[in-house]
Amino acid sequence: MTEFQTIHPLGDVPPQSVESGDTSGITLNVRHEISMVQIFARNGREMELAKKLNIEGVPGRASETRSFTAFPLAPGQWMLVSKNAPGSGFGTGIAKKLKGIGYVSEQSDSRVCIRVSGSQARELLARGCRLDLHQSVASKGFCAQTPMAQVGVLLHQVNDGPTYDLYVYSGFARSFWEWLAHTAGQFGYSRGGRGH
Amino acid sequence: MHRIDCPWCGTRDEAEFQYQGDATVVRPDPDASEEAFFRYVYLRENPKGWHTEWWHHVGGCRQWVKVVRNTLTHEIFATGRAQEDLPLPGTRAKPRRRTRPKQ
Repeated sequence: MTEFQTIHPLGDVPPQSVESGDTSGITLNVRHEISMVQIFARNGREMELAKKLNIEGVPGRASETRSFTAFPLAPGQWMLVSKNAPGSGFGTGIAKKLKGIGYVSEQSDSRVCIRVSGSQARELLARGCRLDLHQSVASKGFCAQTPMAQVGVLLHQVNDGPTYDLYVYSGFARSFWEWLAHTAGQFGYSRGGRGH
Repeated sequence: MHRIDCPWCGTRDEAEFQYQGDATVVRPDPDASEEAFFRYVYLRENPKGWHTEWWHHVGGCRQWVKVVRNTLTHEIFATGRAQEDLPLPGTRAKPRRRTRPKQ
């Protein structure tokens, strides 16, 4: 009988140390072992849901809590990202909290998170992002959904280093990664490892 | 190239949106004639000047945005949520709604 195997779209990308990235100005890493759920408030229950999870619904601003980061996607919709590994019960825990006021959709396997950091990170993203990421406009906590390289991306500025997390649909992750790594080449980033 | 002010996301590039047509069309009553539904489904005006349109923010919040745009100059006068009635420039009146065809 065929056994199901979990294959990560970017499972062959080797980890890169921040120190080595600093020399080239770009560090690219795939974040594994994180859980993602998308939540939707029932009609008219948006405020109640936000209060229940202690998050805000301000467009473009991520809310940090002790156990997850919440990204507002649209009115009454958020993406929650937890550092707990998939299968840790993060989604079911949220679903219990939201019973009667919202819905939960598990997304841990549907998106891939790529962390971009280094002194040239902003310049790299500017090659494909139409948003103004200048530090006078976007700072730590900024988040937005926008297409980059023809792929829908949820962008989050993690810190003012700057460091960015890019959440990409798993089916487009390999294509997006190829574009990102190729574009990073002009900043001195060099690929290594199998499949690159 | 347009810069469209999404009521939720803020000002974004046109490439994030898909044009979805005339926002002034009103669905006829269910018991309206076949001719009325034909006009509703297939017939559109092609105005030179201000036009109220649907734009779908498919690359962002995926909300439907109502946009008052000049088809001649591409100037955007106003944007709003789907439920909003947006006035046309130079008027305090609500945008002209296409009258329902005779039944």
